[in-house]
Amino acid sequence: MKSPSLRIYAIAYLVFLYAPIILLPLFAFNDSKVVQFPLKGVTLEWFRQMAGDAQLGIAVKNSLIIALSSSILSTTLGIFAARASTRFRFPAKGALMGLIMLPMVLPEIIVAMSLLIVLLAIGVKLSLFTIILGHVLVCTPFATAILTSAFQSLDKSLEEAAYDLGETPLSTFRLIILPLVLPGIISAFLICFTISIDEFIVSNFLGSGEAILSVYIFGQFRFPAKVPSMLALGTILVLISICLLTIAEYFRRRGIAKTGGKDTGGFL
Amino acid sequence: MTFSDDKPTMIEFKDVHKYYGDYHALRGINGTIKAGEFFSLLGPSGCGKTTLLRTIAGFEGISSGAVLIDSKSMEGVPANERPTNMVFQSYAIFPHMSVAENVGFGLRKDPRSKAEKARAVEEALEMVGLKGYGGRAAHALSGGQRQRVALARALILKPKVLLLDEPLSALDKKMREHMQVELIKLQRQVGITFILVTHDQEEALVMSDRIAVMFDGEIAQLADPETLYRRPMSKKVADFIGTMNFVPATVLSEAGGQVEVEAKGLGRVMLDATIQPPIKGESPVVGLRPETLTLLYDDQKATERETEGVVDEVIYFGDMTYYDVYLGGTDVEVRLSMRNVPGRPILDVGSKVRVAWSPSALVLFR
Repeated sequence: MKSPSLRIYAIAYLVFLYAPIILLPLFAFNDSKVVQFPLKGVTLEWFRQMAGDAQLGIAVKNSLIIALSSSILSTTLGIFAARASTRFRFPAKGALMGLIMLPMVLPEIIVAMSLLIVLLAIGVKLSLFTIILGHVLVCTPFATAILTSAFQSLDKSLEEAAYDLGETPLSTFRLIILPLVLPGIISAFLICFTISIDEFIVSNFLGSGEAILSVYIFGQFRFPAKVPSMLALGTILVLISICLLTIAEYFRRRGIAKTGGKDTGGFL
Repeated sequence: MTFSDDKPTMIEFKDVHKYYGDYHALRGINGTIKAGEFFSLLGPSGCGKTTLLRTIAGFEGISSGAVLIDSKSMEGVPANERPTNMVFQSYAIFPHMSVAENVGFGLRKDPRSKAEKARAVEEALEMVGLKGYGGRAAHALSGGQRQRVALARALILKPKVLLLDEPLSALDKKMREHMQVELIKLQRQVGITFILVTHDQEEALVMSDRIAVMFDGEIAQLADPETLYRRPMSKKVADFIGTMNFVPATVLSEAGGQVEVEAKGLGRVMLDATIQPPIKGESPVVGLRPETLTLLYDDQKATERETEGVVDEVIYFGDMTYYDVYLGGTDVEVRLSMRNVPGRPILDVGSKVRVAWSPSALVLFR
């Protein structure tokens, strides 16, 4: 950052990225129904309103069910994929791994639309379950990416050494591999959880009208009176997301340090 | 240096072949390793030495043939049930465990009491010179210490065979030389068969009772270090082990166990045909080691043969000086080594010299 123009660019870039998010808590505590400057006074009214919203409670519960299920499923699938891609050679490996990672770059609206068409065509009723399926598809690439990095930093001779010292493949996995990739697993789980909670498009397409947090927030924005309490909710979500991502990154880094590897990539 | 043949056989290879797809990694390995022997598999990278070691450990299957440990075929016996333990090139120290947990890892299913196991761990650590290190975190150890932990972890199970996969290659030169001696001592102390994989010929010569030199998936020669150094069976082995001068030669006649050779720059010489490598088909050369050639100073006389030459290059090593010398007005250049003793001057490039040598030190490759 030697050149002043680069410095200005960097600052402008950060402001552009984060200023809107800073506005969120600002207006969440602002004592006015209208979202505009100048700020009036400080109030907790919007948080109170939010807490009293029964429909929101249901949305949160549904979203938690979806996020927990889909992150557990995605992380499990991610473990299999990462283990397979780092340890074994099999035909069409590159193509298969590419297909697993593809939903990460495909426009989500396409994924959501195609899923909807397929599900309707085979006669599956839309429910929380179909949303979970969609989220697994969206989350698995992220879990696979994180876990591949965790499995890759694992020296193969560690497994061989345990095997050589009398352990079975199963006990080797439990005693050596699992403890060493556990930070990666936790990290993958938390990232998937965050993605699932935030996810809107798939939830909107594949839901059958149950209240889902992201869809619910979008719906509430139609009513100007509800906007400030949604900003309050948004503030809480941002805080939780930051916490989860920080914890995830902490575990990912600790995992790499534990196995003595070098840090290459990551999300933070 | 020769290893006694009366020891029982510990490992036997019977025509072992290994394919990776189309790649023929092991091409008919035969040979035996004796109980209590320090055995080395030596060769350049890609020669199959590590693959062969891993077939003993059970990490690699074999395509055909048989590997026997203590007279029992290892076919279908997985690595965790073989009487072998391995020290890995990367040491494979479990990073999430303490030193003691690492060393005691193999005792998990041992029926002994906790206190007895702890004592065994402490004994193993003492044996490798790490007494009192048990409580340390494994990832905080130096390279040499990791190496010792890996040794202790493998030896605590009292295997019949200890396999060492390039165990010293990650250490610096001083530490490596130190560990070579330590490993020899350790092997004598525990009496377990050690099989070492190395690409470092010096390391193999220093440490081994016997060495199998491997090229391209085959054992080129299996012998004790001295035989390997003095009587290599092929030019390739001679070239790989130490330094060998090759002088073009013509075979003049062969009769009565004697072969007469005309070596360029050295002249006619009679060699004992019975001790020359039996492999034929190369264009004939005679090989001489640098230390079998001696510079003659002042009025020194050669005890056997003497040849004139001109110094082309002088390489000073402190304790030794290497001279590259053109022999007898030819373009044949040989390297010879002279110990630097007091009163023996280092010669200059271009000096005319006399070189003494002995026909018995020559090896004929033809």
